[in-house]
Amino acid sequence: MRRRAFLSGVGTAGALALAGCSEVVETRSLSGPPVLSNRPDAVYFPTHVEGMAMTGRADAGEYAFALMYSYPHRFWTVTGGEVTRTPVEEADDVHLMATVWDPETGTVLPETGLDVEISKGGELVSQEVIYPMLSQPMGFHYGANFGLDGDGEYEVTVSVGGTNTRRTGSFDGRFGDPARATIGFEYSQSDRDGIAFEETPDRAGDPTAREPMEMGMPNSVLPPADELPGDPRGTTETGDAVLAVTTLAAPPAGVDAPDGGTYLAVSARTPYNRMVLPAMAVEATLTADGTLFDGALTRTLDPDLGYHYGAAVDAVPAGADLELRVPTPPQVARHEGYETAFVGMPPTELTL
Amino acid sequence: MREPDATGDGGRSRRDVLKAAVAVGGSVGLSACLDAIDGGEGSGTEAVPSGPEDLSTLPTRQFAWGEHIRRDEFGNEQLPAHQTLLYLTLPGEGPPTADQRATVETALTRLDEAYAWSHEGLLRSLAYSPEYFDRYETALPEPLDIYPARRLSPFETPEFDRQDALLHLASDRPDALLAAEQALTGERASANGVDFDAALTDVFTVDDRRTGFIGAGLPAAKQGGLEGVPEDGPVPDGSPLFMGFKAGFARNQAPEDRVTIQDGPFAGGTTKHVANLRQRLEDWYGEQDFTQRVMEMFSPMHAENDWVEGVGANLEDGSRVDETVATIEEQATEFGRVGHAQKAARANRDPDGTVKLNRRHFESADDGIASLHFPSLQREMSEFDAVREAMNGQDLTEITPAVRQRVNNGILEYIFVRHRGNFLVPPRDLRALPTPDGDAPQ
Repeated sequence: MRRRAFLSGVGTAGALALAGCSEVVETRSLSGPPVLSNRPDAVYFPTHVEGMAMTGRADAGEYAFALMYSYPHRFWTVTGGEVTRTPVEEADDVHLMATVWDPETGTVLPETGLDVEISKGGELVSQEVIYPMLSQPMGFHYGANFGLDGDGEYEVTVSVGGTNTRRTGSFDGRFGDPARATIGFEYSQSDRDGIAFEETPDRAGDPTAREPMEMGMPNSVLPPADELPGDPRGTTETGDAVLAVTTLAAPPAGVDAPDGGTYLAVSARTPYNRMVLPAMAVEATLTADGTLFDGALTRTLDPDLGYHYGAAVDAVPAGADLELRVPTPPQVARHEGYETAFVGMPPTELTL
Repeated sequence: MREPDATGDGGRSRRDVLKAAVAVGGSVGLSACLDAIDGGEGSGTEAVPSGPEDLSTLPTRQFAWGEHIRRDEFGNEQLPAHQTLLYLTLPGEGPPTADQRATVETALTRLDEAYAWSHEGLLRSLAYSPEYFDRYETALPEPLDIYPARRLSPFETPEFDRQDALLHLASDRPDALLAAEQALTGERASANGVDFDAALTDVFTVDDRRTGFIGAGLPAAKQGGLEGVPEDGPVPDGSPLFMGFKAGFARNQAPEDRVTIQDGPFAGGTTKHVANLRQRLEDWYGEQDFTQRVMEMFSPMHAENDWVEGVGANLEDGSRVDETVATIEEQATEFGRVGHAQKAARANRDPDGTVKLNRRHFESADDGIASLHFPSLQREMSEFDAVREAMNGQDLTEITPAVRQRVNNGILEYIFVRHRGNFLVPPRDLRALPTPDGDAPQ
């Protein structure tokens, strides 16, 4: 923090000069290669790849937590359709990432609030609500850049909020309460600088994604479209997102459907590696000799379907037409390579 | 500690010492500090006004502060600049004795004699927790709407203040505030010319001590080096609070009558919720511009219509938040954000528009960390819970995913609940260790 105060006192020219001189000292911890000038409106391979280090794991309440870190890096936040770049600040030392999952099913919980409190020797270093975030190797997680107070032993308390997302099946009635767990974090800049870092000029901008990273814990990969529970009905795409549709003969427990009927579920995922795309607004119009359904699908967490968008409908006959609209794209921050995809998402249709 | 009066500019250095002293606490060093100041000759400080000759002229309501504090040009109440909360515990189990009750009443009577009931003297109240009343075999009367503090959002894990009693002291005079506290805790034999032949600490132990301040200029003056406030000092000079806006507009506050318990043995009392909220304002000031802060503090409509200038003094005596409630869902969808004040207001009005809660929050720099002490008075405790639930805005996350549990959802991203406590503020004649059936036999 002191460093930032010092820098904030410097005028623009001075700041540029300083940025130049810090690059001589340490390039990769600042911003990495420049953002590509010709990014596609789609998933693309980033300009560089970073490894990450596991800090620790803990269980609390109904949840399992894991904490990881890497170099501080730029990311993009999303509010409505507006994407805003969050640059690395001078005072940032690490990008901290947390994942929360259900230890019983291994399901990553993708849509709640999460905050991180960092202390060192009993003294508060930082506390922030951190962002729900998507990265190519991790998929959905919570993350933010943090400044630390030098090398040493830190305690990181991760607090998860009870979720407000509809839960169904055996998740009905679960995950409503908050919990927090404290994980030790022994940090040194030299350890951090030992994390892999590679610029990837040959592949940067290619229409592909990094492979999911094996982290020894659950990640947010969804089942293949044709392996979804129920009756998989096909897929469609918008904004480079894949929307996989399935129907269940009856709504899962927890869906308010007094008349029973069929359950229509849309599973939204990234291309290439099937990472969950949560926190969108999705509307559907189902037609077959008239309108069978026209309205919003409800964000839902189900142990079998995973996180999806669903509604109870009377019936979904073969050959019915389904139009899907996304008035609000996934409200999750993006690591590089995902910030231009899943933003402009025009209506799309498929025949079931 | 700075030597008082060393520069001949006695007023200012003395004030600085005292402001620092409230934050530091009732240590031996502080006593020495106070003694030095009190002994300082001719420092130009006005005498602190004493209590009335006839103590029966004091208000029945311990929370009758509104008519005894400063108001700004628009009639908005200006809470006393310096405040202290002492959380008090009775040793042992079971109900207190008549002797203990007499001791508490004596200490409080000395306080009545020593200090005028005003911001220039000392405002105070002694409140009791539901856990205190559990010491008795009889329960509180059924209609009384009070219960132990509980979690009020799905994303908080506070510590609950379950001490027996809460003493709240408030004054524009830090010297009065400190001397009164020291007399009540047995660190001084007298205060403002009155000998204290009893102290609250003859009966209670002090479990926790929390301090704070409010008023234009104070947050700006204290922001330097404070954890939670950006180092470039963004808090405006004119702001009474760290977040940069006024609050507690007269037309957005419950009248004291509205928060007063009407019937039963505690008629004339009120319920008091006190939260402590840690503030983390790096992103509040760093990631958001003024327009976005207005959206999140008041409403998107306020920002769209440029209703707020600077710290909001132009709003005069009302925040205009009632105009923004009906269309909150449309605003959420259009702007991807909702305002703190507009969310809370949804549950904070009677059918005739009367506000239900009287909020008396003030800032804190305790432990070098920016936080907000949030006392709220209401006739029924559940009224507070309902307003807090409305402020949580979890229903609005279902309207649009742009509004998340704590992001784009008012100010929830920047505040972290650390403590909650519920208390009953009895009427003045029951302020000394009351029984659940509304007696205080000595």
